[in-house]
Amino acid sequence: MQTMVYVWRNLRRNKLRSMLTILSFGFSLALMTVLHGYMAMQGVWRNEGEKHGRIVVMNNQGFSGLLPIAYVDRIRGTPGIEAAAPYAWFGGNYKEEQMPFAQFGTDPGSVFNVWDEYRIDPEQLAAWRSTRNGCVVDRRLAAKRKWKLGERIPLKGTYYPFNLDLVLCGVFDSPMNTDSLWFQWQYLDEGLKLMNAPGAGNAGTIFAKTARSTSIARISQTIDDRFASSENPTRTQSEAAFAQMFADMLGNIQTYIRNIGLAVGFSLTLVAANAMAMSMRERTTEIAVLKAIGFSRRRVLATVLGEACAITLLGGVLGISIGCMCLQALHEVNSQFFPFGIHEMLGPWLLYLLAVSAGIGVASGIVPAVRAAQLSVINGLRRVV
Amino acid sequence: MIPIKYNIRNLRVRWVTTLMTVVGTGLVVWATVLSFGLSDGLDHALRISGDDLDLIVLRKGSTDETSSNIDQKLAREVANLDGIARDNSGEPMCSAEFVTILTKPRRHDGGTTNLIVRGLQEGGRGLRPNFRIVRGRDVRPGLNEAITSERMAERFENLALGEKLEINKVNFEIVGYFEAAGSAAESEVWTDLRDVTSARRTPGALSSVNLRVRDEQSKLALLNRIRDDEQFKLDAVDEMQYFEKQMTASIAIQFVGFAIAGFLTLGAMFAAANTMYAAVASRGREIGALRAIGFSRRSVLSSFLFESVVLCLLGGVLGCLATLPFNGLSTGTANWATFSEITFAFRFGPIVLLRGVAMALTMGVLGGLFPALRAVRMPITSALRET
Repeated sequence: MQTMVYVWRNLRRNKLRSMLTILSFGFSLALMTVLHGYMAMQGVWRNEGEKHGRIVVMNNQGFSGLLPIAYVDRIRGTPGIEAAAPYAWFGGNYKEEQMPFAQFGTDPGSVFNVWDEYRIDPEQLAAWRSTRNGCVVDRRLAAKRKWKLGERIPLKGTYYPFNLDLVLCGVFDSPMNTDSLWFQWQYLDEGLKLMNAPGAGNAGTIFAKTARSTSIARISQTIDDRFASSENPTRTQSEAAFAQMFADMLGNIQTYIRNIGLAVGFSLTLVAANAMAMSMRERTTEIAVLKAIGFSRRRVLATVLGEACAITLLGGVLGISIGCMCLQALHEVNSQFFPFGIHEMLGPWLLYLLAVSAGIGVASGIVPAVRAAQLSVINGLRRVV
Repeated sequence: MIPIKYNIRNLRVRWVTTLMTVVGTGLVVWATVLSFGLSDGLDHALRISGDDLDLIVLRKGSTDETSSNIDQKLAREVANLDGIARDNSGEPMCSAEFVTILTKPRRHDGGTTNLIVRGLQEGGRGLRPNFRIVRGRDVRPGLNEAITSERMAERFENLALGEKLEINKVNFEIVGYFEAAGSAAESEVWTDLRDVTSARRTPGALSSVNLRVRDEQSKLALLNRIRDDEQFKLDAVDEMQYFEKQMTASIAIQFVGFAIAGFLTLGAMFAAANTMYAAVASRGREIGALRAIGFSRRSVLSSFLFESVVLCLLGGVLGCLATLPFNGLSTGTANWATFSEITFAFRFGPIVLLRGVAMALTMGVLGGLFPALRAVRMPITSALRET
């Protein structure tokens, strides 16, 4: 206890230096928090994908491959599948904006069984089902765009040579912001057929909901085996693996973040060690006095290490707070790329960062601490500073 | 003016502190410059991909080759238009091409990503900057052969010389590696137009026509001719603009780079201030003596500021130098415009390095300012009396 008091007093002795070190540590750690927060976000996303037992079927050649619409019915008939819906990405431009939100062509009859955690007013759903060019959107997207029911939403096709002229029939609630618009797959398909354009009859991808009791790996295998010898073999994976595929596209972000983190961590160790060494140099005589009046080596060691750790931990708490605020700000500014607020991402990674802070404290304090502990009392007292 | 030697010697006397500060600053500059090196490399790859005299003809409404499809008959008509440049043998420099993206695994468990496979005609090679085969040979039509760049071979499974890439159950053997000045073409797999369309079971399908115009004048004429023709329903885009539009990915990386620079500059600035405060505190008597023998406040201020700047610049230069081993190292990321992988090399151009040095300079000036002010504010008499 007394050691703690002593550490605290020492910290406050050169307030300017302690503040500068804490600030220096804090800002660098804020960066680490944001970077690790990004990775944590990917993890939350994967968990979200695992929770609902959905699988995604696509052509095994990738997104540009054909997935015949007839596959939807055949997947519906697979034992262990509760619901399935086509999910075709449209990627159109809204007015002058290029692809400002996600747009998918799907089946209004089954899509809310596949995403059964989403909520929509039954009347609005019925209205969408009976309107060929109807669409429904995420409530947050509708709010952002200030769309009212009955709003006309024209989408200009870029991938497809067909423009959609949609009418807003309803809004749905989802656990996280999907930033999506859903329209009737049939509407797009009929348009393409009329124009004799390529891409007709293509479900794009198929999302399916599995029964709780079935194994996703086994059911995916069953589906892929069934289509293996057809003209269009499939690749079926869990929703989590599907999300991972998009994360993978960016490349090796993890290694990048780890390397940046290593450089920053090493730099911080030097900064903290430097500050500690400067403090200790000024206190040589004092430590000799402490030892002369009976402080044990261990206690001297603990005092110095304690001070180093206190500084880095305070800096760590500051940095993590700044970092979390930044992550929250990013979520509020762009919820498409940062779909989670900070309260949804809290997890062990924050403790990890705190542990890193403490670790840097120990690493930076160890040399000055050992030197102080081994200081010869006579030499220390003799030295005139 | 206080001689510069005074500062240099001071840095040398306190060499442990100096070294720690220099390495500390160097590391943060390194991390930042590395991030900017990524976006510079990506930018460069896209910038050199476009030629001022090249046009890409797409279906009206589509924004890139991967989402475009045009009729063969129209493509032939475009090829016969006036104003297209001719190569040495008198052939028009024009190539009808088919582009498709396949989801393929990266090597070393790097996950899967999308890969561009391009089927093109002979003339397409001359339209890419400095196209040449560097190993193996070019494809022979009709034999399901393909070529790619060495970078792609290292990055993707089944793309090394002699390996076979599966496209809809048809195996394409890799028979050679090509280079195209590090442009976006080096992120693709090339094969014969007919071979790939028949493998994809879309015989006769085309995505775009790439062509070179004779001169600026015929470029304008051709652009208008293609865009305005009601029958064509085609759009011609300037190749430079086409690739410039794809730079969104590098803008995102640049944003990350600036965020890193911002946080770390602040962090390192406080650390530099710490070092300089200690330097000022331990040299009270010296400062008093300097003032006593007649050096003005201003020269003491500039002397300490200079010392701080030297300290941080040393770190900055060290950090920039430490990125050298990464220069030219190839890497890749997603090009969201084409929804596929683009490979490129780290590049540390003058602007990137200047940013690193500017970062160090900011740290040095801002971090050294307050300690230097403290140094000059000390009254001479009490400074001289300090222990």
